[in-house]
Amino acid sequence: MKMLTVQDLRKSFGNLEAVKGVSFTVEKGESFGLLGPNGAGKSTTINMITGLFAPTSGEIRIKNIDVIKYPKQAQKWLGVVPQEIALYQAMSARENLKFWGRMYDLSGNELEKSVDQVLEIIGLTERAKDKIETFSGGMKRRVNIGAAILHRPELLIMDEPTVGIDPQSRNHIIETVKRLNSEGMTIIYTSHYMEEVEYLCERVGIVDHGELIASGTLSELRETIGNHSRIILTIDKETAHVEKITQTLLGIFSKKDIQIQDHQVMVFHKEPQLILSDFIQSMTKTGTKITSVDIVEPNLESVFLHLTGRNLRD
Amino acid sequence: MKFWWLAWKDLLLVVRDKKAFLTLILMPLLLIAILGSAFGNIMKENEDITIKKFTLGVVNFDQGQLSKVLTEEVFSKSLSKQIQVKYYQEDDLYKKIKDHKLTVGIVIEKDFTQSLMTGKGTKVKLLSVPDTNINTTIVQTVIEQFSRSVPIEAVVAQMAQPVQAGNPSGIVQKGYGKKPLLKETSIDAKTKLVSSFQYYAAAMSVMFLLMTVVQGVSTMILEKEQDVFQRLLLTNLTYPNYLLGKMLGLIIICLTQAFIIISGTKLLFGVDWGPSIPGIVIMTFAFVVNASGLGVLAGSLINKEQSFNVAGMFGTQIMAALGGSMAPLYVFPDWVVSVTKFLPNGLALQTYLELMSGASLSKILPAVAASMGLGMLFFAIGLIRLSLERRGKYA
Repeated sequence: MKMLTVQDLRKSFGNLEAVKGVSFTVEKGESFGLLGPNGAGKSTTINMITGLFAPTSGEIRIKNIDVIKYPKQAQKWLGVVPQEIALYQAMSARENLKFWGRMYDLSGNELEKSVDQVLEIIGLTERAKDKIETFSGGMKRRVNIGAAILHRPELLIMDEPTVGIDPQSRNHIIETVKRLNSEGMTIIYTSHYMEEVEYLCERVGIVDHGELIASGTLSELRETIGNHSRIILTIDKETAHVEKITQTLLGIFSKKDIQIQDHQVMVFHKEPQLILSDFIQSMTKTGTKITSVDIVEPNLESVFLHLTGRNLRD
Repeated sequence: MKFWWLAWKDLLLVVRDKKAFLTLILMPLLLIAILGSAFGNIMKENEDITIKKFTLGVVNFDQGQLSKVLTEEVFSKSLSKQIQVKYYQEDDLYKKIKDHKLTVGIVIEKDFTQSLMTGKGTKVKLLSVPDTNINTTIVQTVIEQFSRSVPIEAVVAQMAQPVQAGNPSGIVQKGYGKKPLLKETSIDAKTKLVSSFQYYAAAMSVMFLLMTVVQGVSTMILEKEQDVFQRLLLTNLTYPNYLLGKMLGLIIICLTQAFIIISGTKLLFGVDWGPSIPGIVIMTFAFVVNASGLGVLAGSLINKEQSFNVAGMFGTQIMAALGGSMAPLYVFPDWVVSVTKFLPNGLALQTYLELMSGASLSKILPAVAASMGLGMLFFAIGLIRLSLERRGKYA
């Protein structure tokens, strides 16, 4: 059963086309990742799906309800975790959760029970009475998530929920999302941290410059780079002659398998161990000083790099 | 009921903001005390004991010379250091005295000169407010002195001219030693003068309530700029509920502040808010609805807190000045006072002053209705505005 259908979605702000014909579907119970660098159009896409922004054109359906025509009906199924902390700082965690629960029509015992459950899920039962302003960034983000799941939504949309927090809180959040998904909640998770998306999501859409440049399961995406690993040579910039390096490498590898960036030279290959010594030797012959060598297994970062020529965090 | 929880949340945030809370409650009481003391000497009820120059309102129906002598020679010239004469239509003069814009006035009847010359009894109406002050006494004494001197002057004049008819001395015999010249009239004995402390208690209350609304609206706009507003839009909260919640929060905060100011000024400074407690309560509620309605309208129109802070501060100052919170309404021309009734604070202050002067609840009901009506109108326009904004901007 389709939980979400996005069809040829476009959004322009004046002359700037922020989203350019994005299409994808998310099945019920699935966890879908939207991966892309900052400014790629992920948040704009999310804002249109949630009914906050009207798209310039295109179609969005949540459980077959047209979001553009009936946003309030569609929003009933939705829980949204915004990128920023959308909480009242002078109120305690419990007060915030109760307030947001009431905004979702919860009341009485149902509300109390739901708040207690959510506090347990986000691991803040002990700090329930403390004001949000006294919390660390990570704890605030956990309450931010809690406020979105009080009404047990069928589709949870999380927009960069781990930005700027400590590793411990990040782990807690990721495990919480994993748990919610395993309990049947459909998740759409946007991030520019590919490790999180790889860990959490069954299917991933890669967004760049407002376009969905690739989508599929992790293995399908890895296939787009032929399941190639990446050999990364970090070089001394002062001794590097880019033209010479390029010419030398083109004599050994095909153009699509080579990336040269600032102080890194990368080669994609299915069996990196077989070509490693040739690669290093040829580089040494160009007079380039190598400072380190890394072999990276095929991952989403590699896919993004392969597709765009840029790193995710550029 | 979601609007109630939204209002409750706003109240909680205000109560927890200690600085805002103290500003809302302590500042008004402090300022009222300072201003009341500062202006006390200017607007005291018994200010005229020092015999300052005052204005005498005159209505002159007489075509003869004696009324001219009385008004132009005696009052305008001989007593020019104490009295300034201004001429009015009869209705205007009554209104001026009733509104405490003049302390004393006279109405000279049409056969004044002839009656005085022939010794017939005539009356000059002396109009004043009930609490007779020294101005009234001065005018009364002058008229009586004038009445005594006229027969003598008339005899002198008669002797200087050929005798026309009758006995000139008859004038003296029929003169004013026998018949009273003055008929004193008290206007609207139920009205009382409003003291400076009373005036500024009302004026400052109104101004601070206005400022509280501005502060509340500023918070509303700040919320719109932040992600909590977008999060609210994604819940089951509707726009009418949102705006109603915001307005309810403002109303409760303002009513609390009004209660503290009114009871505080009454208990701490002995300010008399008039005999009609229901009148004060209902007018306060109506004013708060009016001002809050205007506030949520502003909050729905403006999306940037920074823009609102400039406009809000500027607007509040202008409204406070025009509404009589800075300078007394008495110094404004009548048309300005009438126009400022369209301002929530102007209407409220004028109604408070009426109540302090002894007006009953029934007398202020039109003002209450106008205030409530305007508040609801502002709310409706704000709601339409927000809905239109959503249609244009959101799905």
